[in-house]
Parts: sequence; C-alpha cells; structure tokens
Amino acid sequence: MLTLTKDRALALALLLIVAVMWIASGDIRPPTAWQPYGSALFPRILLVVIGLLSLLVLVRSLLTKVPEQAGLGTRINEWFQSRRTILAIFLLFGLYAALLPLVGYIAATMGFLIASFALLMGIDTRRKWVINLTISCTLAIVIFVIFRYGLNVWLP
Amino acid sequence: MTNFFLQALTEVGTPSVLGLIIIGVLFGIIGGSIPGFTVTMAILVVFPFTFAMDPVSGVSLMVGVFVGGYSGGIVSGVMLGIPGTPSSITTVYDGYPMAQKGEPGRALGIGVAASFLGTLISVAVLVFFGPLIASFSMNFRPWEITALIVFALTLVAGLSNGALLKGLLAAALGLLITTVGYDRNSNLRFDFGLPALGSGFEILPVMIGIFAFSQLLGNIEKIKDEGNNVKNVDTNVAIPYGLIIKDMAGQKLNTLRSSLIGSLVGALPGTGGTVANFLSYDQAKKFSRHPETFGTGIPSGIVASEASNSAVAGGAFVPTLALGIPGDLPMAIMMGVLILHGVTPGPMMFEQNPVLVGAIYASLLIGAVVMVLCNLLLVRWFAKISLIPQQILVPIVLMLCAIGAYALNNNLFDIWVLLIFGILGYLLWKAEVPLTPLILGVVLGENLERQLFRALELNDSWLTFLTRPLSALFLALAVASILFSLYQDRKIRRLKHAAQQESV
Repeated sequence: MLTLTKDRALALALLLIVAVMWIASGDIRPPTAWQPYGSALFPRILLVVIGLLSLLVLVRSLLTKVPEQAGLGTRINEWFQSRRTILAIFLLFGLYAALLPLVGYIAATMGFLIASFALLMGIDTRRKWVINLTISCTLAIVIFVIFRYGLNVWLP
Repeated sequence: MTNFFLQALTEVGTPSVLGLIIIGVLFGIIGGSIPGFTVTMAILVVFPFTFAMDPVSGVSLMVGVFVGGYSGGIVSGVMLGIPGTPSSITTVYDGYPMAQKGEPGRALGIGVAASFLGTLISVAVLVFFGPLIASFSMNFRPWEITALIVFALTLVAGLSNGALLKGLLAAALGLLITTVGYDRNSNLRFDFGLPALGSGFEILPVMIGIFAFSQLLGNIEKIKDEGNNVKNVDTNVAIPYGLIIKDMAGQKLNTLRSSLIGSLVGALPGTGGTVANFLSYDQAKKFSRHPETFGTGIPSGIVASEASNSAVAGGAFVPTLALGIPGDLPMAIMMGVLILHGVTPGPMMFEQNPVLVGAIYASLLIGAVVMVLCNLLLVRWFAKISLIPQQILVPIVLMLCAIGAYALNNNLFDIWVLLIFGILGYLLWKAEVPLTPLILGVVLGENLERQLFRALELNDSWLTFLTRPLSALFLALAVASILFSLYQDRKIRRLKHAAQQESV
C-alpha cells in the first residue's frame, strides 16, 4: 500500500481544492457580448496551473522511494500528539476571535494572553504566575488605550 | 526634484513625524535583535498603528522600522552569537569572535557604522535609479506590466530554496486567493454562499496570517525541539569611538562594494538581505589579501555583512516604488501599507505623490542617523531585550496581529481570515511550500488580472504578448528563470544523492 508522504498529501489536497473550485467556477456569470473573455477565465487559468503543478508534485513523489512507515492512523495520531501546543494555540486564537464581540477587547485579550502564557511558559511557580498576570493585564489595557485614545481606533 | 524633496523634508521634519521615526527605528532594532522575530514581523506588528495616520506619518514610521530592523540583527549577532534576522547571519562569523576576544563594543560600533553608510549609499541608489526606472516604465502598457509581474513571480518562485515546483504552486495559489469576491466587472466569484466572502479577502490579514503564524509557531516548535538556551550575557558594553573611526577608515572600498551589492540585491525580486549578506561577505573574502582571517573576528567581515544588509532597505524600494512590484516580504507588506493609505506604488507615484516619495527618501536618511544614535546609546538595553523568550513574545504578537486585522476595517471577519490563513500558512510551511511567492501572489494578483484583461480588451489576441518586444523579453526571462531553477534543482538533488551515497 502507498504511504502518504508530505508531498502526496499536499498534492492530493490541492487537487481536491482545484476540483471543488473548478465546479464552483461554473457559477460565475458568463461574459457579455462586449467582453472578449469572462470573469471565470483568470481563476480557471490558475486552477489549471495549480492542477498541473500538483500532478507533477504527486508524480515526483510517487517516483521517490519512501521507507516503510507505520499505518496512516498511527502517523496522523503521532502528528497531532507532537503538535499539541501548536493546536492549542490555534484553538485559543479561535476562542479569542469568538469571544471578542461577546466580552469585549479587554476581557478577551486578557483571557487569551493569560491562557497562552500559561500554555507556553507553564504555571508551576508563583513567579511565572506573577509574570503572566502582570504582562497580560498591563498589555491589554495599554494597547486598548493606545488604539482608543491615541489612534482613535475603536476596539470591540 | 529639489522642490518636492524640500517639501517632503519639511513634512518629515515636524516633531511628531520625527518622533514616529525614532519609535519606528527603536522598534525595528528591537525586532531585528530578537532571534526568530525578523524585520518582517516587526513591520507586521507596527502597521496597525499607522491606520489612523496620514500617509507621510504612517510611511515614515514604517520606514523607521525598516531601517532599524535591518541593523538590529547585529546586537544579538555580536552579543549572543545568534543572528537576530537571517540577513545578519554573516555578521555572527566575525562579530561574535571579536566580542569573545573582549571587544564587543568595537564589533557593535563597526557594525553600526557600516549599517549607517550602507543605508546612505542605498538611498543614493534609490534617488538616482528610482525615478529613472519609473520614467522608463511609464511606457509600459498592459502587456508589458502583465509579463513583468509573471517574470517577478517566476523569479521569486525559482529562488525558493531549490523548490521550484512548490514555489510556482505557491505563487499560483496566492493569485487564486485574490479571485474570491466581486471582480472588476462586479461578477461574484467563489463566495460559496457566504456573504462575507463577497468583498473578497483583505490583503493584509491574509499576508499576516500566512506569514506570522508559520513563523511564530515555527519558533515555538524550535524551542520544544532544541530547548530554550538562554545565555548569560554581559551587556556592559563600552564603544571605543576612536578605534572604530580608524577601523572604518581602512574599509572604504569594502563599505562601498558591500553597500552596492546590498542595493542591487535588494532591488532584485526574491532575494533580500539574506542573499545580500552572504554574497557581500563572499566578495569581501575574495577581494581580501588575507581571506584566511575571515571568521576570526576582523572588521572587514562585519562591514561586508552589515553594510550590505542595511543597503537592502534602499535598494528594495526601487522596484516597489518604480514598478509597483515588491521584491521581498517586508516590501510586499510595505506595499500593502501604501495601498492602505490610498497610494498605489508604481511609476505614476513619482508624478502623483512626489512628496510621499520624497518623504520615503527623507525618512530613510533620518532613520539612518537615528539608528546610529539609538544603537550606540542604547545597545545595552537592546542586548537585554533580545533575551525576551519566545514564550512571551508569541502570544503578544498574535494578539497584535488580531487587533491589526480587526482595526483595518473594524471587521471581526478579518480576524477569522487571519486564523484561516494562519492554519493554511502553517500547513503549507510544514509541507515545505515556500511562503514568499504565495504572499507576492496575493499582493500582485489583482493588478495582474486587471492588466491581463486590459490587454485582452485592447487586443483579444494572446499573441500580442509575444509580438511586443518588451513583453516578449519579460516572458522569455520568466521562462529562462524557470529553466535556470530547474537546472539548479537538479544540481542540488544530484549533490544530495552523491552525499547520501558517500555516507552509505
């Protein structure tokens, strides 16, 4: 059975995107009588280029010998396990974006910074907690004041 | 020329703009001196603060960051032996050994002086060549501009660490991103039923998402893999001014050569400070009577590296201002900032916004002076700040990126755009896809489509691209750059294969 390498995964994902977007390009309004080419032409040229290049990446990756590796499920699991911190950062950022309109800039920012610092620095000592809370609270307020009163930019 | 420059100087010379340049330079040096932070990240963090400013103030602040950022790498390079930015890798070769011999002040002083002179020479190059290239490119019609953008993209894709295929893929993906939303004929494309996608993606959240997440999360992964090696550094540095003047007096030719190399490399798409400092260091070594002394802590090595990477600042402005085509990431972001302030970089800018062009020249010059003063007076503090751990920096920068994306249009959707492109950028980076061509594709996509269709509306034959001499030349150069990259890719693979066989 074929092993799913980085290049193969990339090529397959891009080919899937190309297929979806090619179908979606069918919804673009056709050219009017005075237009030599329609609005779908440019994206379709790009989709063909991306499709061809992805196929080349796929073919090249298939021609390269890959050492035997563990099953796909195990490798995906390992990938996620080794990147737990990164995934947590993305998750925290998503939560931050979701909370901004609900609780406002200051509370959401403090929450995001405290949680991210705790995740990256750890919370095993009192000193780390002090650093965490001091930076989070000060920075959230300082940035708010700079934007709101210094730059006249309204934050949520 | 003199008139608009004097007018620009009056505008830049006001206390508020001078203050902004100082803040920009300070932040740039700090950004450049923190390993893994880079000039680009410093620019990204500062740009939201320019939203509410007038164009001259905003651009002056950004230019300050740019000048400071390129010189900032020297602090961590000399004090820690870690290049603050990739463009100061060769500074470490001689700067760190000199510091280890007990002369950190001398190494820093030489580096700062070389950075200053490099910036000045590059401004001269910009002032001379910018208007010249702009007036030449005024003759470009849509066919030539289309072909030139294609050439710039293939060149950048081809220079992406020997990954031509993925570089081209990235550039095409970047262009594709710009096709979402209403086009020039008010036809809706790829909205997938989501009203928020109707207006397409804003360039800046896309660029920040792609670049910042991959860079910052990459830094976190690096810490996890290598551990957090915080060194104990003596930041008590005295600058021996007399000795530095003597050192620099013996480096006139090296400074000039390195600055010109930096300016030239900066003006070429896809290269930037990293290529400039290696090329310049290599040339300085070849021209030296004692090449064996390079790497042992000699002034020539520091001068070659720092003069060239600082000269990139002025050189990189040449294609951005004269042609509207940014050559590297910091310039792509700078172009985004100019567009945000209602200024379209390109040959017309010299006619329509001469004061702003003059303000860029003036800010570069003033920024260079401020950079010297800040570096010499505050070097101890910069050295201390460069020790800030990534664990603290990453959340702060991510938060600032989110606020920057939001403040652009007071639109929360842009924060989601930032996150989505952050995930995409991270995954592509993991798949070893170069991100610079992707970002350039995003910046140039709209103009490429507009020029392509303008050309086809004027003459619907595609052959016109080949029958117009300049357009044909640019397309031929694009093909040549792809062929050259293919040749290089093969050579790299052959060498890798040979090395593997040898190790077996």
